Amino acid sequence: MKKALLAAIQVAILMGFSELVNVLAAWMHLPLPGSIVGILVLFLLLQFRVVKLEWIELGATWLLAELLLFFIPAAVGVMNYIPLLEQDGLRIFAVVLLSTLLVMTSSGLLARTLSRRKESRT
Amino acid sequence: MMIEQAVTYLTATLLIYYAAKWLYRKYPKVYLSPLLITPAVLVVVLLATHASYSDYNAGGEWLSKLLQPATVAFAVPLYKNLQTLKKHAGEIIASVLFGSLTAILSSAVLARLMHLDSELASSLVPRSVTTPIAMNVSQMIGGVPTITAVFVIITGLLGAMIGPSVVKLLRIEGDIAKGVLFGTSAHGTGTSKAFELNPLTGTISSISMILAALFTLLAAPALLSLLG
Repeated sequence: MKKALLAAIQVAILMGFSELVNVLAAWMHLPLPGSIVGILVLFLLLQFRVVKLEWIELGATWLLAELLLFFIPAAVGVMNYIPLLEQDGLRIFAVVLLSTLLVMTSSGLLARTLSRRKESRT
Repeated sequence: MMIEQAVTYLTATLLIYYAAKWLYRKYPKVYLSPLLITPAVLVVVLLATHASYSDYNAGGEWLSKLLQPATVAFAVPLYKNLQTLKKHAGEIIASVLFGSLTAILSSAVLARLMHLDSELASSLVPRSVTTPIAMNVSQMIGGVPTITAVFVIITGLLGAMIGPSVVKLLRIEGDIAKGVLFGTSAHGTGTSKAFELNPLTGTISSISMILAALFTLLAAPALLSLLG
């Protein structure tokens, strides 16, 4: 119970932090979205020991473990595009499926080959 | 009334999601993936009760709001696994660049082969990267950002669903290669699947997702003008 409360507080801290980064990124007209700036800034803060790992670790672990849940509302949003999908859905699906298979094959096989070669050299 | 409705939709989402997760643990079949079942059940219920997406999203957006802090939380595994990442930086960068190049070119070429109109084709091109950057790129190359957001979600769902089978089929071994595969092909959704495998695979996937987003942002417009 105490652990859950601590995790909840840490999630709130991470929410506040990411809001702050959004404001900063917009104010500085950075060409990157707040979430990516947020990863980099938090990483640097951890690296330079400004933020201690134990301040956020429980909250971060919980957020990452439940990550799929946070995509559900966006996925439900596809219902607004049912007419488009009725018309072109099959062809769109074919493009997404084939292209995703190609991306997985190209990146996965190259990464496997390169990391194997590295292992055999060392 | 409004707040009650929002709480109802939020509760329904949580209940259906955890039920779907339980079902998936018992019967781990691709088509039973919680990422597919949960939205599908919700859409059917909403259509059957003549509720709109904005009704639903009054509650749903509470979950979407956690997406950004969850993405920022990638910094924690990144920090904890820095040594491994440094050691494998070369392989990761090269494979992500190759994968992103494949994503951009194959989307454009396949869309043309399928005779999709040019606005839809451009909206498909950045679909492998995280939503805000994909929408940005879509705008730059003559697509429709909101339609791109839909394609990004479809890509994420599909990638997370078929990823584990592709890994098996191609005999992809090692956390590096698996992480690169998920993060390059299916952004944050793929990354959450990678975190289910193990934390290191998830970390590699999150760094791959970031690299793929940056590369697509910088290179997609030029690559497409080469295709003509």
